Amino acid sequence: SPYGWGSFGIAFGLGLSVVGAAWGIWLTGSSLVGAAVKAPRIRSKNLISVIFCEATAIYGVIMAIVLNGLMKKPEDSSYADGVFLENWDYNTWYFAGFGVFCSGLSVGLTNVASGVSVGIAGSSCALADAQDPSLFVKILIVEIFASALGIFGIIVGIIQSNSSQFPDKLIG
Amino acid sequence: MEYEQICPAIAPVFGYFGVMAATVLSNMGAAYGTAKAGVGIMKAGVIVPELIWKNLIPIIMAGVNGIYGLITAIIILNNIAQPNQDGFRVYSLYTSFGHLAAGLSCGLCGLASGMCIGVSGDAGIRSFTQCDYMSKTEPKGQGFGRKKKKAGAENVFVGSVLIQVFGGNLALYGMITAIILTQTSYDCEDN
Repeated sequence: SPYGWGSFGIAFGLGLSVVGAAWGIWLTGSSLVGAAVKAPRIRSKNLISVIFCEATAIYGVIMAIVLNGLMKKPEDSSYADGVFLENWDYNTWYFAGFGVFCSGLSVGLTNVASGVSVGIAGSSCALADAQDPSLFVKILIVEIFASALGIFGIIVGIIQSNSSQFPDKLIG
Repeated sequence: MEYEQICPAIAPVFGYFGVMAATVLSNMGAAYGTAKAGVGIMKAGVIVPELIWKNLIPIIMAGVNGIYGLITAIIILNNIAQPNQDGFRVYSLYTSFGHLAAGLSCGLCGLASGMCIGVSGDAGIRSFTQCDYMSKTEPKGQGFGRKKKKAGAENVFVGSVLIQVFGGNLALYGMITAIILTQTSYDCEDN
C-alpha cells in the first residue's frame, strides 16, 4: 500500500538522520571530553562541533514534517465499505507513495554520511585546539564543508517531494 | 507488448532508486574524503599552522563530488514523468531502468573518487607539511640545504594536487555517463 511506503519513507528519513547525528556526536564528544582532561579551556568553544552534528538531525526533522504534510487522508466521498470507488487515481497514488519513500531514504542515508564526516572532523578539531589554540578556526572550515553534504541531501529530498502529491479525491 | 508490461505501476521505484543512489553514494564518497583529509590537516596543522589554507584543497575537491551527485539527481528528477490528468501512467520501465543506471553510475564513481581523494589527500598533506618543516629546521651547511628543500616541498605540493585532480576526474566520468543515460526515454501514449 502506498500509505505504507510513504510512512516507511518518513520513518527512515527521520531515523537515519538521527543515527548519523548521534554517530557524529559520539565521535566528537569522546575526543572532546578526553582532550579536555589536559586542556580544560577547549570545553566551551568546541561545543560548536556538536551543534553542527545536531544540524543534520534537524534536516531529518524538517524533511519528516514536509513529507508528513504530503500524505493526505482521502475524502469521504472516495471510498465506501472499506474499498476505494471506481474512479480512484491508483497510478498517482502509487507514484506518490514511491516518491515519498525514496525521498525519505535519500535524506536519511545522506545524513548518515554527513553526520559521520562532521563527527570525525569535529574530533580532529578538538584535538588540534588542545595543542594550539590558533588552529580552531582553520579546522572548523573542514567541518563546514562536511555539513554542506547534508544540505545537498535535503535539497534533493525537497525537490523529489514536490512531485509526490497523494490524491485525496476521485478523478473528475 | 501490453501496456501493463511496458508501463507497470512499479516503474517509478527504479527511477527514484537511481536518484537515491546518485545523491547518497556520491555524498558518502565526499564524506569519506572530507573526514580522511580532515584528520590529515589536523596532524599537519599542529606542526606548521600557516599551511592549512593550502592544505584545504582535498576538502574542496571532495565536496565537489557531492555537487556532482546533486546535479545528477536533479536532472533525473526532472525527467521522471508523473501520471497525467486522467490517471494514465506515462513513465515506462525502459526509462526507469535508464535512470537507475544513471544514478548508480554517478553515485558509485563519486564514491570511488571521494575515497581516492581522501586517501591521497591525507598522504599529500602530511608529506608536504613534513617537507616544509624540514626545510625550515634543517641545520645550515648540511646535505642539500634549505633552498633546495623548499623547492622540494613545492614539488611535492604540485604533485599531490595533480594526483587529487586525476582522482576527481573519476567522478566527472561518472556524471557524464549518467547525463547521457538520462537521455533515454519512452513514454506510453494514451489512446
